[in-house]
Amino acid sequence: MDFFIKHLLSVLIFFPVVSIFLLLPVNKKNEWLLRNLSTFLSLVEFIFSLYLFIYFRPNTYKFQFVEKFNWIPSFGASYFLGIDGVSLFLILLTTLLTFVSLLSSYRYIKTHVKEFVILMLLLETFMLGTFAALDVLLFYLFWEFMLIPMYFIIGMWGTGNRVYSAVKFVLYTLSGSLIMLFGLIYIFIMHYDQTGNFTFNILRLYNTHISDGLQLILFIALFLGFAIKIPLFPFHTWLPDAHTEAPTAGSVILAGVLLKFGVYGFFRFAIPLLPRAAFALAPFVIVLSVIGILYGAFVSIVQKDLKRLVAFSSVSHMGFIMLGLFAMSAISIDGSVIQLLNHGIATGALFLFVGMLYERMHTRQIKDFGGIAKKAPIFTAFFMISVLASVGLPGLNGFIGEFLILVGAFRSYPVLTIIGASGIIFAAVYLLWMFQRVMFQDVTNPAAENFEDMNLREIITILPLIILMFLIGFYPMPFLERIDPTVLHFLSAINHHKAVYNLIKLKTGLSNA
Amino acid sequence: MHNMPLIYGMNFLEKSMLSIIPETVIIIFAFMVLFLAFFEKLAKRKNSYYLSLIGIGFSILYVLMLSDRNIYGFYGSVVFNGFEVFLFIAILFSGMFTVLMSKDYMENSGMPAPEYYSLILFGLSAMMFLVSSNNLIMVFLSIEFMSICAYILTGYIKGDTRSTEAALKYFILGAFASAFLLFGAVFIYAATGHLNLYAIHSFLENISYAGSNKAVGGIGIKIYISAGLVMFLVGLAFKMSLFPFHSWTPDAYDGAPTPITNFMATGIKLAAFAIFLRIYSLIYNFNIMNFNDILWLLAVFSMTFGNIAALLSSNIKRLLAYSSIAQAGYILIGIIGGGFYGYSGTLFYLLAYIFMTAGAFAVVVIFENSDIISLDIKRYAGIGYKYPFIAAAMSFFLLSFAGIPLTSGFMGKFYVFSSAVKSGYNWLVLIALLNSAFAAFYYIKIIVKMYMPDKEPASPPLNSSGDNLGIISGAIDDGLMLTIIICLILTLLMGVFPQIFINFANNSADLLWRI
Repeated sequence: MDFFIKHLLSVLIFFPVVSIFLLLPVNKKNEWLLRNLSTFLSLVEFIFSLYLFIYFRPNTYKFQFVEKFNWIPSFGASYFLGIDGVSLFLILLTTLLTFVSLLSSYRYIKTHVKEFVILMLLLETFMLGTFAALDVLLFYLFWEFMLIPMYFIIGMWGTGNRVYSAVKFVLYTLSGSLIMLFGLIYIFIMHYDQTGNFTFNILRLYNTHISDGLQLILFIALFLGFAIKIPLFPFHTWLPDAHTEAPTAGSVILAGVLLKFGVYGFFRFAIPLLPRAAFALAPFVIVLSVIGILYGAFVSIVQKDLKRLVAFSSVSHMGFIMLGLFAMSAISIDGSVIQLLNHGIATGALFLFVGMLYERMHTRQIKDFGGIAKKAPIFTAFFMISVLASVGLPGLNGFIGEFLILVGAFRSYPVLTIIGASGIIFAAVYLLWMFQRVMFQDVTNPAAENFEDMNLREIITILPLIILMFLIGFYPMPFLERIDPTVLHFLSAINHHKAVYNLIKLKTGLSNA
Repeated sequence: MHNMPLIYGMNFLEKSMLSIIPETVIIIFAFMVLFLAFFEKLAKRKNSYYLSLIGIGFSILYVLMLSDRNIYGFYGSVVFNGFEVFLFIAILFSGMFTVLMSKDYMENSGMPAPEYYSLILFGLSAMMFLVSSNNLIMVFLSIEFMSICAYILTGYIKGDTRSTEAALKYFILGAFASAFLLFGAVFIYAATGHLNLYAIHSFLENISYAGSNKAVGGIGIKIYISAGLVMFLVGLAFKMSLFPFHSWTPDAYDGAPTPITNFMATGIKLAAFAIFLRIYSLIYNFNIMNFNDILWLLAVFSMTFGNIAALLSSNIKRLLAYSSIAQAGYILIGIIGGGFYGYSGTLFYLLAYIFMTAGAFAVVVIFENSDIISLDIKRYAGIGYKYPFIAAAMSFFLLSFAGIPLTSGFMGKFYVFSSAVKSGYNWLVLIALLNSAFAAFYYIKIIVKMYMPDKEPASPPLNSSGDNLGIISGAIDDGLMLTIIICLILTLLMGVFPQIFINFANNSADLLWRI
């Protein structure tokens, strides 16, 4: 047990790989076993990950569950894992959503089941590794390889223009990551020039001295990599395609976990490595975020395709998260991290409902639905809760995150925050209007006449997410008390640079006068 | 005679012979394979196949036995030390893969086998001579030896017009390149009075430390040397298939028998890069002319051109040929980056490149042999479901070409790119990274074809034995399977646990300078 707890992160990362080896000998015709075994194994993985939560010490910013072994001494790269309050919850979210999406695809995935479950588990390994890695090379390894299983999931089980979407997704993110790689290599070499040691240890790389001009260039390089992943406003064009064409499980993972990597990358790498550039460019990023909030909301309103609507709502929600992160106040960053979870939970749930609708009606066009509420009360209730959580109704999780973000950001960027806050109103418009058109009104489509209500499997799929919506909405303390110390430490680490940055601004201002 | 470090109590001849033992073994076996053709009973394809493998095995054994030696043979014309050990092993692996791939291919095409295998072995020995040569004449002779073997092998498919055309193109252009090489060597000799690379090195060192040109023969020397080095570079760049000298590559790769394409893409390229690395680090590095700028241009053009052309080609062999031009550009970045770190990165990348290329070609040969899938990429549609293992392996090799992590291609790229950043070539690295992103498109295009066909797989059904194991109805050759498995394991290993290979490359790069 002691060994287990000590190496819990490695166990978590590699358990899905072990699961894959358990699944390999299963005959591909035996789909029942494949589905159930893989779901069961991902449930075991989720239960393992709960140990992280149990044994995680709150009220400290220090990295926990640290493991460190030499990996490539020539590059100073090590197998260095550890989590803090932020990555803890992202890891829990990942294991939960993997379980949920495997459980959700019993009906959706009809062909090549074996390949599908193997790719999902492979994806899980790489997602967990990305959140746990504290070594830049290790992080990059996990980060970039993650694209491959996702690419197959979209391309092989997607709908419509799936190949185009999959290739677009890979090429977009790959281009971003490669430019980011340039930035990371540059920082790595700079650190070598300054200390004479090769190291990829992120905690040591934080101490690299980088001049202000260079910070800006490197920040832009890293920014491209992370912003495409989020995606921030002008870089979002891959997202609607990928989300819309992906199978339900793919969309859930894509929205629930993959988008979080961009924000996590800013939090863990871009801002602490290049704090002054982050301060200098923060207004710029915030403007983009606010544009993203409004743009995502406006485009969502006019969508005819249900899944595209949810996809564009992601752009809007991710804008909120970036607004909170770059406002750089403790409250707003707390809100951002909470909102990361909320978005994963609520948008994940929305994609699941869209998937269920699609499985039953074989359409995603909003106009084809209507009057479902009468036929399927359980479905309607759960769908309603998820929509309201996404809108940000008090008492549900979305409210907590958005409230914290807006309160925290208001002090530094009052005007932009107010403009951004209107995004919540628009969210109510597009989500509730959508809900009305889909669930209420008259039945127009004969297929809706015998709409089945949710069965037990689907209820089990959705229930953990609904519980979390209420839990975070009513009692966010267990989350906040773990996130807050990390965020405070993050701020205190970069605030020193803020002082320097202000001083420089002051000086240049004086010299101009 | 030069001051040569003496090996304990060994006389000149013994030492010289020792320095070329691995090559000699290969040549002896090449003759043995050739002699098989005299006896009707023995001249079966299988015999020459196994004999060649045994020869390569013995040669590897000798290389390993001599691996800690540092031998100068034939008045310093031939060197054998850690640098050679690394490259010999890589070259012998490339030869081994070529032989392994050939068995069924020869069977199907009905060409005479002993000559074919002996030519491969002769080519191998020539590559090894080239890598260990330390003398301009040696360099020229071994390049010629190697090229002649390659010309013949390229045109080996008798009666096939494409093959003959490829051989002729390769030969004519190759002859030009050799002329340039020789002319360059003449210029260098005229300027320095030396043929030995180390001697030229110390001569140039004297010039650059003397500062003024008058002391050692005036401005004329610089002009001669520059002209010589440029022409020498042209000759070598032809063999490395760098951009303006690449035009033979797609035709020769396409027309040659596929195992020979692999031989050219891995072995010849490796040998050419290795000798360029040695000559570059010894001679070009002086401030006679800014050769790094020339190489910079060559690298950028090779990458960009190779990738664009690969994007447009629909034949898998041509695509791999163009992609190999692009890969040559990436490898060159390591040499430009320079220094211990850069050279070691170059060697690492070369090793990684061999395994991924050989693996990819092995897959191509499998489908070519089985006659169900031609070289057209369109015919690869849907094979991902029919042959899961082979298709997965192919995808992995392609991802390695694209430089996705977990593959040796990523580690190699990371290594050479970081060495270039270290030396301040930021733009070069940025261009290379953008190129990698661009290149990913056409590698992924093949994966798309294999796994995501537009409609359900239209490729003709197999012998209806309902085979689910991913192996083409038992007809698959063990040699090819072995090649794929070895390449797969090593590509993965070099991508995940590269440290052993880095140590090996470091060791080798370290000895490059030990004069």
